[in-house]
Amino acid sequence: MPTQTIWILPALPALAVLVNGLFGASWRPGRIASIAVGSVGLALVAALGFLAELFSRPAGDRRIAVNLYRWLSDGPLTIDIGLLLDPLSMVLVLVILFVGFLIHLYSVDYMGGDPGYRRYFVCLNLFVFFMLLLVLADSLVLTFVGWEGVGLCSYLLIGFWYERTPACDAGRKAFVVNRIGDFGFLLGILLAAGAFGTVNYEEIARLLETDPALSTGIVAAVALLLFLGAVGKSAQFPLHVWLPDAMEGPTPVSALIHAATMVNAGVYLLCRISPLLEKAPAVLPVIASVGLATVLYASLSALGQRDIKRVLAYSTVSQIGYMIVAVGCGLYSAGLFHLVTHGIFKGLLFLAAGAVIHALDGEQDLGRMGGLLKELPVVSVTFLAGILALAGVFPLSGFFSKDAILWGSFEHYGKAFWLAAAAGALVTAFYSGKLFSAFVGRKAFQGPLHRPGPVLTVPLMVLASSALLAGLPGLPLFTEDTFFARFLGRPAGVPGAGNHTLETILMAGQLLLVLVLLIAAIRRFTVSRNYSPSATLAGGFGIDRFYERLIVRPLRALAGFSFSVVDRRFIDGAVNGIGTLSMVLGKYFSGLQTGILRRYAASLAAGAFALLALSVYLSGGY
Amino acid sequence: MNLESVIFTGIVLFIIGAAGFFLRGNAVVLLLCIEIMLNAVNLVLAGFARYLYGTEGQVFVLMIMTVAAAEAAVGLAIVVALRRLLGTTDMNRIHFLKG
Repeated sequence: MPTQTIWILPALPALAVLVNGLFGASWRPGRIASIAVGSVGLALVAALGFLAELFSRPAGDRRIAVNLYRWLSDGPLTIDIGLLLDPLSMVLVLVILFVGFLIHLYSVDYMGGDPGYRRYFVCLNLFVFFMLLLVLADSLVLTFVGWEGVGLCSYLLIGFWYERTPACDAGRKAFVVNRIGDFGFLLGILLAAGAFGTVNYEEIARLLETDPALSTGIVAAVALLLFLGAVGKSAQFPLHVWLPDAMEGPTPVSALIHAATMVNAGVYLLCRISPLLEKAPAVLPVIASVGLATVLYASLSALGQRDIKRVLAYSTVSQIGYMIVAVGCGLYSAGLFHLVTHGIFKGLLFLAAGAVIHALDGEQDLGRMGGLLKELPVVSVTFLAGILALAGVFPLSGFFSKDAILWGSFEHYGKAFWLAAAAGALVTAFYSGKLFSAFVGRKAFQGPLHRPGPVLTVPLMVLASSALLAGLPGLPLFTEDTFFARFLGRPAGVPGAGNHTLETILMAGQLLLVLVLLIAAIRRFTVSRNYSPSATLAGGFGIDRFYERLIVRPLRALAGFSFSVVDRRFIDGAVNGIGTLSMVLGKYFSGLQTGILRRYAASLAAGAFALLALSVYLSGGY
Repeated sequence: MNLESVIFTGIVLFIIGAAGFFLRGNAVVLLLCIEIMLNAVNLVLAGFARYLYGTEGQVFVLMIMTVAAAEAAVGLAIVVALRRLLGTTDMNRIHFLKG
C-alpha cells in the first residue's frame, strides 16, 4: 500500500457518514449497518497494512507524513493540514479501529429497532473520523479540530435519547465542562504559536532541541495549558464530573467514547507533546499529582456506586488517572501501554455490562442482578476476564501495564507516592470484585432474560481474548525496555538501575493483596448486596453538589436575572417602548391629515415661506 | 426687456395661480392654477437664463414643462375618475383621505 494514502484512514468513516447521512433515510437498517461497520472494518485492514509498513522499516525511520493542504499562512506562522503516522499515532489508530470495529459490530444488534438507528451510526462513524483526525494530525491546530469534533460527537451521543431529560442534561454538562479544558487547550495553542512560531509537533520538537534560548517558563506554560485541555477531555480531577453522567448515552457509546478512545485523547496529547514536558520537567510533578488525586478519588467513588455503568465510569476516570501518573513520571510508553490495555478491557467490560443490561431489560442496578453466571455464561466469563484485567491479576493485560506504572511511580516519586498509587490499585480490586458479584450468588432479578445473540457475544469473546493477550507487548517484565516501548522508539527514560528484588517483592505482595481483596469483595457483596455503604462515596464526595452551589446556582441566578430583568425589562421594554411611542405619536399627528386639499396647500406655502425666510435670515440678509 | 419686469410678471402670475388655488374649489380650475404657477416659475427661469447667457435655466424650463405635461395628464385622469365615482369635482367637498 503506498504510504501517501494514510488519509484513507479518516476518509473511510467520513465517507460512511456522508453516504448514510445523505442517502440513508429510506434504507433498511441492514444496509446502513453494513456501510457503517464496513467502513471501520476496511479502515482497520488499511491500518494493519500501515502497521506492517512501519514494522518493515528500521526503528529510526518509522514515520509516514503527508501534507495534504496549506490551510492558512499568517506571517511566519503557517498551518498545514497534514497527517503524521508514527508509532505513537499508530498505537492509537489501532486501538480506535480495533475496539471501534467491534463496538460498531456490537451496536448492530444492541441498537436494533431503535428509531434513531441511522442517526446513531452516522454519529458513531463521525466520531471515528474525528478521533482518527485527532491522533493523525501533525499539528496542534488540526488535533484541536479533531478534539472539538469528538467532543461534539460525544455530546450528540450522550444525548442520543434526547426525549429523556437526564440524557440531555448529561450531554450539556459534558459539553460545558469540556469547554473549560478546551479553553486551556486553545490558549496553549496560541501561546505555542506565539512562542515557537509553529504549531507542528515535529517542528516544535526540533526547535526545542536546537534553540537553547527558549525560556523554560514559556514551555512550561504551554505544557500546563495543554495539560488543562487534557484534564478536561480525559475527565481528570477536578473536571471529571461529566464522565459519570455521560453514562446516560447508549452503552456501546460509553464503551467506545467514554472508555476506550475519546477520554484517552488527553493522555495521547501529553505523549505527543512529550518534548515540551522534557524541556520543562517542573510540570511533571503537577501532572503526576493530578493523576494520583484522580486515581484515589475516582476509585473510592466507584466503591459507592450502585449503577453498574457508573461504577465503570468512575473506574475509567481512575484508570486514566494511572495513565496520567505514568506521563507525570515521564514513562510515556507505560502510560500508552496502559491506554491500550485499558481501552481493550474497559471496552470489554462496558460491552458485557451492556449485554447484561440488555438481557435484564434495562436494569442497571447491581443490587438487582446476581446469579447471572448460569443464565449468561459467555457474558459472565468475558466479564470476568475484563474484571481480572482491571484488577491487574497476572497474566491478564492490566497486570503488565499497571505494574509498570506503579513501579515507575516508586522510582520517580518515592514510597509515599507509590503507597497512594498502590492503595488505588487495591481499591480497584475491591470494586472489581463488587462488579463481579452481580454474576454470582442468589438471583435477584425477576422476569425472563433476553439472551444475547452471536452479534453481541462475538465482540465480547474477541475482546476478552485480546484482554488476555494484550499484555504480551509489555514483556519482558522488570524493565522499561519492553517490546512496546521499543516499537514506540522510546526505550527507558531511566535505564533500569533496577532493584529487581524489591520490585518483585512489591509486585508479588500487591498481587496477593489484590486477589484477597477481589475474593473478599465478591463474598461481601454476594452475601449482603448492600452496594452503597456510604452516601459520601455514592455522591462522589459531593463534588457535584459543590459545583452546583459554587458555579451552577450563581450562573442560573445570573441567567434568571438577565432574563427577567435585563431581557424582559430593558431590552423588551425598549423594543415595546419604541412601538408604543410611535403609536401614540401617530395617533396625535394623524389629526393633521385632514384630507382637505386647501389646508395641505396652505401648510406647503407656509413651510416654503418659512424656509425661504430662514435661508434669507441665515445668509445675513434683511 | 429688462430682468425686473420679467421677475415682476413672474411674481404676479405666481400670486394669481396661488390665489386661485386657495380660493377656487373645482379640481380642473385647481389644475389650471398649478399650471399658471409652474409657468410663472418657467418665465423667471427663462428670464434669468437670458440675463446670464446660460443654458441651465432653459434646461430646467424644458424639464418643468415635461413634468407639467405628465402631471396634467394624470391629474385630469384623476378628475375624471373622481367625477365618475363621486359625482362632483369640488375639492372642498372631497376630504375622505383623512387620518
